[in-house]
Amino acid sequence: MNKKLLSLLLVLAMALGMLTACGGNNNTETPAADNTPAATETEAPADVDYGSGTITIWVADNITDFTQAQAAAFIEANPAFAGYDIVVEAVGEGDAAGNMITDVEGGADIYGFAQDQLSRLVVAGALTPVVGDNAAWVAEQNDAGAVGAATMGDTIYAYPITSDNGYFLYYDSSVITDPTSLEAILADAEAAGKGVYMEINNGWYQTSFFFGTGCELTYDTDENGFTGANVTYASDAGVQALKAIIALSNSPAFTNGSSVENATNAAAIIDGTWDAGNAQALFGDNYAAAKLPTFTVDGNTYQMSGFSGFKLLGVKPQTDAGKLAACQALAQYLSSADVQLARFEAVGWGPSNLTAQQDPAVQADPALAALAEQIPYDIPQGQYPGDYWGLATSLGDSVIANEYDNASDEELMAVLTQFQDTCISYAQ
Amino acid sequence: MEEKKSVAAKIGGFFKWIGTDLKEIGRTFVKGDVLTKISFIIMGFGQIVRKQFARGIAFLAAEAAALYFIFSFGANYLKDIVTLGTHGRGFNPDGTVSYGDNSFFILLYGILTIVVILALLFLWRVNLRQNMDAQERLAEGKRLPTNRQDLFSLLDENFDKTLMALPVLGIFVFTVLPIIFMICVAFTNYDKNHQPPSALFTWVGVDNFKNLVSFGTEGFGPTFFTVLLWTLIWAFFATFLTYFLGMAIAMLINKKGIRFKKLWRTILVMTIAVPQFVSLLYVGKMFAADGLVNAYLMKWGWISSAIPFWTNPMLARIMIILINLWIGIPYTMLIVTGLLMNIPAELYESARIDGANAFQTFRSITLPYMLFVTGPFLLTQFTGNLNNFNVIFLLNQGKPQAMNLTGNAGYTDLLVTWLYKMTVNDTNYRMAAVIGIMVFIVTAVVSLVVYNLLPSVKDEEGFQ
Amino acid sequence: MLRRRRIGNALAYLLLIIISVIWLFPFFCLLMQSFRSYATESGGMVNYLMPREFSLDNYKFLFGDGTKFTKWYLNTFIIAVFVTLFQTIVIICVSYALSRMRFKGRRGLMNIWLVLGMFPGFLTMICLYFLLKMLGLTQEGAIPGLILISVASSGMGYYVCKGYFDTIPKSLDEAARIDGASRAQILFQMIIPLSKPIIIYTALVAFMAPWCDYIFASYVAFGHSDSYNVAVAMQRWVWTNDYQGYFTRFCAGGILVAIPVTILFMCLQRYYVEGVTGGSVKG
Repeated sequence: MNKKLLSLLLVLAMALGMLTACGGNNNTETPAADNTPAATETEAPADVDYGSGTITIWVADNITDFTQAQAAAFIEANPAFAGYDIVVEAVGEGDAAGNMITDVEGGADIYGFAQDQLSRLVVAGALTPVVGDNAAWVAEQNDAGAVGAATMGDTIYAYPITSDNGYFLYYDSSVITDPTSLEAILADAEAAGKGVYMEINNGWYQTSFFFGTGCELTYDTDENGFTGANVTYASDAGVQALKAIIALSNSPAFTNGSSVENATNAAAIIDGTWDAGNAQALFGDNYAAAKLPTFTVDGNTYQMSGFSGFKLLGVKPQTDAGKLAACQALAQYLSSADVQLARFEAVGWGPSNLTAQQDPAVQADPALAALAEQIPYDIPQGQYPGDYWGLATSLGDSVIANEYDNASDEELMAVLTQFQDTCISYAQ
Repeated sequence: MEEKKSVAAKIGGFFKWIGTDLKEIGRTFVKGDVLTKISFIIMGFGQIVRKQFARGIAFLAAEAAALYFIFSFGANYLKDIVTLGTHGRGFNPDGTVSYGDNSFFILLYGILTIVVILALLFLWRVNLRQNMDAQERLAEGKRLPTNRQDLFSLLDENFDKTLMALPVLGIFVFTVLPIIFMICVAFTNYDKNHQPPSALFTWVGVDNFKNLVSFGTEGFGPTFFTVLLWTLIWAFFATFLTYFLGMAIAMLINKKGIRFKKLWRTILVMTIAVPQFVSLLYVGKMFAADGLVNAYLMKWGWISSAIPFWTNPMLARIMIILINLWIGIPYTMLIVTGLLMNIPAELYESARIDGANAFQTFRSITLPYMLFVTGPFLLTQFTGNLNNFNVIFLLNQGKPQAMNLTGNAGYTDLLVTWLYKMTVNDTNYRMAAVIGIMVFIVTAVVSLVVYNLLPSVKDEEGFQ
Repeated sequence: MLRRRRIGNALAYLLLIIISVIWLFPFFCLLMQSFRSYATESGGMVNYLMPREFSLDNYKFLFGDGTKFTKWYLNTFIIAVFVTLFQTIVIICVSYALSRMRFKGRRGLMNIWLVLGMFPGFLTMICLYFLLKMLGLTQEGAIPGLILISVASSGMGYYVCKGYFDTIPKSLDEAARIDGASRAQILFQMIIPLSKPIIIYTALVAFMAPWCDYIFASYVAFGHSDSYNVAVAMQRWVWTNDYQGYFTRFCAGGILVAIPVTILFMCLQRYYVEGVTGGSVKG
């Protein structure tokens, strides 16, 4: 009996199959007819009812546990949001932006990212503007650079959580005798047969030379994207900077890189606070950190500059007012002074919050001290179009591949003119 | 040449066929009895009344499902397909977002709906023909196949339909539909500035294709041709170097008097067995500036500064071809080993009697035989290498980039890895779609040309 | 003459040994680095090969609480098993129909599939992602989603299997049909038992592919680490700066991934050779 029923069902299924197949490749059955592209949540809540659901947070792997614990503390302190489950996933800051852009609706509700992604995320509609009291709170609690980093046009789009996204010099004090001059550092490293690491094919590190000689590269923005570019790379100052980069890349001690983990033979590395622990492990007792050195081109000496950057926490646009309120409150909490300080204690991330920055423990940290020493020479990193980073990598790769070794000043000027024109074209 | 003629003839034939078919539909309507006429509207009606329940219900169900899909779902999208949406996203006063039209879904489901309509038309036509057929057979006093026979035929003479239904459906939904969609995207401005659901995209004609071959500062032209050229060079070397070296190694192992043949082969096929994301990712790191290879060369004092394996364009290209040998040779080795046994021993025997030396026998017997037999294999290898994503991407992600390449392309990027970067890193779907079409064209042209040159194709029977 | 052959053989052995060393050296390095201690040495890249002290730190880490490696491993295994099962079935069905039956549109279908195969797979990634999302098969549902995607289009990979079926004489079918066997019975009772090598080959190839799939898998599973497969999870350890000191862990994980796949492959090597040889000639 059973067998018969089964075969009947099978045959029925095949009959349908036959119909669909007899033409070759046509089909009539189509996947679920239910289409709700926009995630529909429950209707707008009453004053106190913030609804329920899941809030997903993406942060870098090493602070997932920390963030989970802090989020739990937040829910405990704010029972109004108890309806929400908080799920923390380890998604790196680089991946987070890419994934958010691919599918905003499938992405996290709150996510951490480095500020260079802000403009892409705003244009892709992956950030909800921070408005009203929250905006005022962000502006008054954090240092001016951090606020600028979270701003596009006149609108704040994210909650700053660190102000330590800059770079400086880690070095082995047994090898490097004079960390204040790039030439001296290279000479010491060459003599010791060790490496000097700097990621010159990265638009972020590259600027330390260009800004150092006085070049400018900034963009004007409004809420819809980039409106103008201020670039002076195609200038004598630009040529000087490019020459300095070429000279660095031609040193036998030079290696392109900025990750202690991948540096097998380092005497000095230009890197940021996130690598402090690794650098300490690598250099041991000889671990030292300093501001970036000076460099000399054609007899002129310049102090290396660079970006001081920031890490931000963004909230995705929400269709439900209750969830939006919950997300914003949570993001605000995770970027508050106390949590920033706790995060510094847990993983050493330098706070962007003015109060937290005054903490004695923060002020005593050697890596952060070196960064603080460097910051006066840096410019706060504003908004840059995503294409800029690719372009800078191209310039760096060309330098590393020795394409410009014998180039005259005019030829270098031509390269920089092309670079500058391309930079300007991104703002149109 | 014949191909071209037949294309024109086929197009002509298609319109002729439509004409006759329309005529036939008219005749069916005029000559059909009540059942057949009702089946014009209610598909399967005739069959059900004529007791062919299995067919009838299948038709009816198909019609119901298709109409339900079209009216409850598809029509909403299809109506916007010309504009791809007009209402953008907006923020409400309370800060929440309300998403407007989604160009992506309008395009995707619009295409799907068109296909469903076509499928329905096709089924409708089959249904009419079956009705007319049944009517005529009954009029002649013949019997119709019973339900049992209908169903049983699905396991016998119509078994192909049973077997093919699901695979064809799967390929349609997950291959054909997406490809049609992406071809359409090539004619839109779907990129990072026009990304649903936050922004709309729309049709832009052939702008993207113009951009691909334009040579201004922002044009993709020079980069495209650099990448295309490298793709072809790479595929050539990757295919033929592995082929000949693989053959050499196979013959070396097969040499008389060499023992442990199985062991040597097993060692070589390790690279096939170990997943490439492990082996290639690791080998890529080995040759990095601070990798093991450079470290040891420096320790031994052979070099004073690291060899730029991955940062010098020329060296990176050579390295990729070399490392690909490591992956590719074992395949050829396996195949050649199998085929060497098939060469009739008498051929070698008579060659030896003629006093030919080893090289001469290779040139006059082994090589021609191999080339003849493995022609199709070489072709698939070549087209496979045109699209060999893993080797390039896992080793060095297409680096190094350079100032004279746009779109973040690097010197070792193939068209496919470039396409991948555009999709994943830049979300520049419009150009990715154009590049994808170019990859298709290159592959198709190479395949067609080479295929027609292959001796084993020209002379298929002779070999079998 | 004998002397010459002996020299020739000696040279051949030398060459084979050199080749073997080149072929095995990277795997040896991988293995050695996986034994480097995370605690007392370094988890990053170093400029020496042999660990100063052998330890199982990295393996302990992989099976510990600090990572979901076992979960990712299991995910990959599940995907591989289901893909193997369904893909083999689909390919057998398609190959049988195309090899044994002559139906309207057969040539056309084969030509269309040939043309479709010339489009690069990555082209349609974004579209497949949203199709899967519509079915709820991304993020949390990524594992069935990946299985579906792998299986759905596998019918187009029928060449090798069909080529093999073509070599089974048609007269056998005809004899069976005279005896009253249906097409279905012929497939199940005659063709499949006769095609063991090619079925094993098909299954083996299907089983090995998911272990290497990170491109589409990372596209579908993003932001939901419970749905990652090993390739997606582990490539982050090498490429993402968030994971400092994970290089040796990657090596250890790579070894663990490679071992079962390699053993399986070595056991079934004979069938694999038969498959690639047959397939290459048939084209």
